[in-house]
Amino acid sequence: MINSLVQAILLGGYYALIACGLAFMFQVMRIINLAHGSLAILSAYMVWMMTEALALSPFTSLLMVLPIMAMIGWLLQRAILERATKGGELLPVLSTFGLSIVIDNLLFQHFGANTRTLASYVGDLSWESYQLFDLWIGKLPILIFATAIIVIGGLDLVLRFTSLGRQIRATAFDPDTAGLVGIDARKTAAIAAAIAMMTVAISGSALGLRGTFDAYAGAPQLLFAFEATIIGGVGSLWGVLLGGIILAIAQSVGALIHPQGFLLGGHFVFLLFLFARIYLNRDFLTLRHWLGNKSKGESL
Amino acid sequence: MLSVKDLDVRYGQFRAVRDVSLEVQQGETIALIGANGAGKSTMLRAIAGALPIHSGTLSFKHRTMTHLPSCDRVKHGLSLVPEGRRLFAEMTIEENLLLGKSVNRSGDWDLDRVFETFPNLVKRRHAKAGSLSGGEQQATAIGRSLMSNPELLILDEVSLGLSPLVVDQVYASIETLRETGTTIILVEQALDRAITFAKRAICMLEGRIVLDKPTENTNRDEITQAYFGLQENAPQEVS
Repeated sequence: MINSLVQAILLGGYYALIACGLAFMFQVMRIINLAHGSLAILSAYMVWMMTEALALSPFTSLLMVLPIMAMIGWLLQRAILERATKGGELLPVLSTFGLSIVIDNLLFQHFGANTRTLASYVGDLSWESYQLFDLWIGKLPILIFATAIIVIGGLDLVLRFTSLGRQIRATAFDPDTAGLVGIDARKTAAIAAAIAMMTVAISGSALGLRGTFDAYAGAPQLLFAFEATIIGGVGSLWGVLLGGIILAIAQSVGALIHPQGFLLGGHFVFLLFLFARIYLNRDFLTLRHWLGNKSKGESL
Repeated sequence: MLSVKDLDVRYGQFRAVRDVSLEVQQGETIALIGANGAGKSTMLRAIAGALPIHSGTLSFKHRTMTHLPSCDRVKHGLSLVPEGRRLFAEMTIEENLLLGKSVNRSGDWDLDRVFETFPNLVKRRHAKAGSLSGGEQQATAIGRSLMSNPELLILDEVSLGLSPLVVDQVYASIETLRETGTTIILVEQALDRAITFAKRAICMLEGRIVLDKPTENTNRDEITQAYFGLQENAPQEVS
């Protein structure tokens, strides 16, 4: 029981890693990027190609893919999202949905139906584990979990304390006034998209290291990312980490109850949170609400 | 310094500003007067780049910027303090002020100087802008504009919703600005205050400029008549 809980928490780290780019884009640009999962797969393929062709470690390949994905993010914003957002809220959803279909099929055409993995390039790391009391904890899941914390923490620090972060937040809050203050909202949005795509590159590599992927593996990734974002609340990036963990625990509990309950458990909790968010007091599910209560309880 | 020619600004079919031409010299202080809906804010927002210009031209320091995005206008030294403050409510005062530094224009204004000018902000430095009083918010909004070291500062309805005492404070701080040679255009509903502060008064009515005179050559009555569109020779109602 404790074992599956620990494994679930680590899996939650992976979900948070794929979700944080989605949440970041939604938070900053008010765009739900339905091509998120497909872009993760695209970057996984790029890492795989580089690793294969140049005989590099996947981690080195990832370092090289990061700037490429940043460029793709910039282009995505300038060429598609910027125009799409002018057409209302629905248009970015439709156009990124279209984009995901295009990416999926291009990948399928180019790479075929074979599944790939990055795990074979990292040697022992893919199966080695630490022993902690009676538990065996994989090194790779720990690495991914730590990466998730670093990425989310990094994004949080950038948003909070840097001039770029302030400009991103200001643009998200009120783009018109941001312009009047002298912030180039177009540039800020493009930088934000580039940052989001870099997190996508990291999550794509994490996916490749954890297991296998094929051209159509983007959709489930998007689904998990979306569920983690909604459960965690779109307001905060740390909420996304919590959301990922809750999702993973729900899936594990589902799997314990019934062999096919893995996905169902996740969906069930997702719907539960969705309805709770719609019908309950907005504050009720935020991190601050519970932490606030806790500190009050301690002071009594 | 600022030259506006045949400016036309529209909301869909509605012409909010009609064929307005205006020249502003360096160092001038101008009070823009007019009833609600006369087109004052619309004109100023179009000048600052927050609204698209339908026709006409706008140039600032001999540079045409009719279709330049607002952030580039700030870069050239044109800054608007928008009506209703429009602060970033989730951010602290300090963060709001620092945002004004985004364009990185060189000049005297920095955090210290803004806090010196608005001492009431110092102790609220790390408070969220949304939690401030009206006067503190207005001071933050003005400070945020000043951080970009503007050569032309446009203040839209600075005293709206503030108590008379706070209005005095705000004006005292703008006066120090006037003395440093910053060009100022401000919208003010309190006529007496506008006339005493500004050297030139411009009155708008239904999207047009109906009066444009140095304040020393005009008086309250003349402005009031322009404000309401009463002409001297208008036919009197038969009683």
